[in-house]
Amino acid sequence: MSITLTEINKSEAIRFMGYGKSKPDEVTLRNINECEKALLEAIKPEYVYRVFNISHAENSVKILGTSLELTGKDICKHLKGCDKAALLAVTVSGGADRLIRYYSACDMAKSVIADCLASAAVEQVCNEVDKIIKLNSGYKYQTWRFSPGYGDLPVEVQKDFLEVLNAGKRIGLSALENCMMVPTKSVTAVIGLSNNEISKGMRGCVCCNMRDRCAYRIRGEHCGF
Amino acid sequence: MDFKEILKKEYIVLDGAMGTMLQASGLKMGETPEALNIQNPQLLVDIHKKYIEAGSDIVYANTFGANRFKLQKCGYKVEEIIPAAITNARKACEGTKTLVALDIGPIGQLLEPTGTLTFEEAYDVFKQQVIAGKNADLIVFETMTDLYELKAAVLAARENTDLPIICTMTFEENMRTFTGVSVSSMALTLEGLGIDAIGVNCSLGPKELYPVVEEMCKWTNLPVVVKPNAGLPDPVTNEYNCSPEEFAQYAEKLLPLGVKILGGCCGTDPDYIRALCSMLENKTHIKVDKTIHCAVCSPTATVVIDRPRIIGERINPTGKKRFKEALASNDIGYILGQAIEQVHAGAELLDVNVGMPGIDEKAMMIKVLKQIQGVVNVPLQIDTTMPEVLEAALRVYNGKPIVNSVNGEEKSLSTVLPLVKNYGACVVGLTLDENGIPKKAEERFAIAQRILDRALKIGIKKENVFIDCLTLTASAEQEGVLETLKAVEMVKTKLGLRTVLGVSNISFGLPNRELVNSTFLTMALTKGLDLPIINPNVASMTGAVRAYKLLSNIDVNSVEFISNYNGVQNTAATSGSNSAVDLPYALENGLKDEAASLTAKLLEEHEPMYVVNEMLIPSLDKAGAEFEAGKIFLPQLIQTAGVAQVCFEEIKKKILSTGEKTVSKGKIILATVKGDIHDIGKNIVKVLLENYGYEVIDLGRDVDCQLIVDETIRNDVHLVGLSALMTTTLVSMENTIKLLRQNNVDCKIMVGGAVVTDDYAMQIGADYYAKDAKESVDIAKRVLG
Repeated sequence: MSITLTEINKSEAIRFMGYGKSKPDEVTLRNINECEKALLEAIKPEYVYRVFNISHAENSVKILGTSLELTGKDICKHLKGCDKAALLAVTVSGGADRLIRYYSACDMAKSVIADCLASAAVEQVCNEVDKIIKLNSGYKYQTWRFSPGYGDLPVEVQKDFLEVLNAGKRIGLSALENCMMVPTKSVTAVIGLSNNEISKGMRGCVCCNMRDRCAYRIRGEHCGF
Repeated sequence: MDFKEILKKEYIVLDGAMGTMLQASGLKMGETPEALNIQNPQLLVDIHKKYIEAGSDIVYANTFGANRFKLQKCGYKVEEIIPAAITNARKACEGTKTLVALDIGPIGQLLEPTGTLTFEEAYDVFKQQVIAGKNADLIVFETMTDLYELKAAVLAARENTDLPIICTMTFEENMRTFTGVSVSSMALTLEGLGIDAIGVNCSLGPKELYPVVEEMCKWTNLPVVVKPNAGLPDPVTNEYNCSPEEFAQYAEKLLPLGVKILGGCCGTDPDYIRALCSMLENKTHIKVDKTIHCAVCSPTATVVIDRPRIIGERINPTGKKRFKEALASNDIGYILGQAIEQVHAGAELLDVNVGMPGIDEKAMMIKVLKQIQGVVNVPLQIDTTMPEVLEAALRVYNGKPIVNSVNGEEKSLSTVLPLVKNYGACVVGLTLDENGIPKKAEERFAIAQRILDRALKIGIKKENVFIDCLTLTASAEQEGVLETLKAVEMVKTKLGLRTVLGVSNISFGLPNRELVNSTFLTMALTKGLDLPIINPNVASMTGAVRAYKLLSNIDVNSVEFISNYNGVQNTAATSGSNSAVDLPYALENGLKDEAASLTAKLLEEHEPMYVVNEMLIPSLDKAGAEFEAGKIFLPQLIQTAGVAQVCFEEIKKKILSTGEKTVSKGKIILATVKGDIHDIGKNIVKVLLENYGYEVIDLGRDVDCQLIVDETIRNDVHLVGLSALMTTTLVSMENTIKLLRQNNVDCKIMVGGAVVTDDYAMQIGADYYAKDAKESVDIAKRVLG
């Protein structure tokens, strides 16, 4: 099932631009519309996910049938009560990077706008993949998306995570030595699956590593996570 | 048996999947399959044997990911794994005629400009692999999605071994690879590089790949390879949905397209290969007659030269002070702006000339080509008189370019044409030789003929030779104009070659040059000019080409013309109407054109410094203050800065024309640190700092610590700004600061980026923490004044 976006969640993107409750001026709004159109033409959402059996250890979760082990108390908490986990990787493709780079060379304001729109677009694609997993997994309940780098799940797991999903081959997504993903507008995440109701778990600023230096928090806002 | 001999067979069958077989025997996802070559050689021998028994003519050694990056995890070296893998395959082949291929997949690290691996590094990675695998019978590069990476691979293979080369890329249902490479671009580029077979593998099943294979066969005369997956995988079970029988049935449908070499990728096993072999039994290869279009390309855009195509001439320092200044100060941003402007105006190709005394033309050419290809997708024409610059450019160009130029002189023919052949480019032949430019059309034709003969002799295809019959200045040689046009017509009709002309030269020394240029352009088009080299930003020039295409029934139903000119009246009316606009208003409201003309007007009456300090900076300060107060937001702040940039361009032009001293308030180096590729924050800071009159030396992203130190010293810079996005790259920021301090560089350091905090900045020894772009300006004011 392929995912195509026909519009981008602009209010989300505008929030990423730092507007809070304010509305952008007319010129910016016009630019946002123009960038949205260009971005929708430039991107090609791709995703891959696989459902794995998991086994719970004291301070880690093993992804069975792979060499992958997710460590830390936060991922343990996240997957508590789940007997399977879906590993997913999502990208809106290098087309977004290319467009942002293009605007950087001729109109920096549009570059910033396209950057925020692309971030919103990845989230939209993730939400679609969420639904697809729900539809196909055969499980009644699933957790929210927990990504490498959240809480105490080390971001260093990124490379192995992508390899287990064969993400390079399947969706053209890889990670640099320092775990930064390329194309940049991409997400990896773990969703726990269970037939029993899952406790909602901690979400938001409490388990976010950025909470001490978050621009949204400083302004008294919230990033939406 | 070797590859040439095996090609004499009607059909050649490759093997099926390796990974699928290894996983079936217990390999876990995430483990390094190549380690098994040493840890369990018998397993590999057995798998190869199964494919040989099923009927494979060529088996791929288990070396797909055997490169220095991917092997890191398992601890073995490339020089250990690859020979072991080939030995295993050879053992399995004993007593058969089956060949062994060194199989090489993508490096797994994305190349510049999206990733950080350079073209040269990629070449080196592949070089190590092909040398380690020199005992194979042939080399296969497969599952490639980036044409640039594949070009590095092919160059490494042919420059370090004599083995035949097969290339297959992976295309999705939209007929492109993940990085956007089109089928035509792949075929045009690789056939030019002299590989032995070309095709597709992975991604889809044989049914879904039909349109991709159909397109491939249209664009190449090489043997075509297809190695599809066993359909599509299920995300829960990871099983593929196409049976061996269906696989063979759909593969059979590909044969009339001209496919010659078949095999299986993910999800296939010996049963699929057996099914293929029995389907192919007693079948004769279907040879398809075809003519390949004359075309040039970038990875994502192919331009067929079947109608007049505009080549933009503006990337050239000749007679342009501002361009020369950009070259001298390494201001690549300006050159990129020129590229984008021309494409926006209608250029379908861009000429790139960066030759100027006093600069390293080779280094500049490499840098400029890479960066232009990072922001626009039109194919490029490499314009240089230096053979070593030309060769360097041909290596790093991604796609099939045009070389500008060769001429009838023996020295030129013998140095330029071999390079053109070697890298598979098109070439422009100038009709001049040791005796200069002949007066008569017939003599120019004779030189064109000579150039063509020489090109054909060394194996350059006729359609890749274009001829420039040379425009002479009408004011100096009026009678020569018609001779040029006559020569164009002769070359076009008698030699059947595409023609090129630099148009703008015609009007040199005359008033109303635009009128003369556009009239000459139209005259030349009617004589058969295919590739006018013009300034596309002049509306009447681009318009002449578009109108010609409409009137000569090339632009069928006037589609292109109407899409370009519908509504032109309206835009002109709105942009010229508001006479009440002043500079502050233009700055606040993003009106770039108005701001440029208002600045030009102000400069007629005021000194440049006055305009900067009294007009621009107060507006910028106001925007900055409003940003801090939360009245305006980032996009608007940058919008204002972008308009100010346009004003600064006007000021720079003025300064260069009068030779006054610059408005620079001091130099600042900016860099996104090593390992970090997210440079939007740094780019925002750059725009703002430039607005305040600082000269920013932008070192880009993923910048080596040492380079930052060297450039800071070399340029005598006293403020360095570093940016990092991720916690994993903060260490590079710290290392850069350490190195600057160790070298006692006399500079202040400011740092910023999403994960940087004030405390952390101080902890790693920075002088300042800038929480946003506005604050970086405040810091610059404090440090540099």
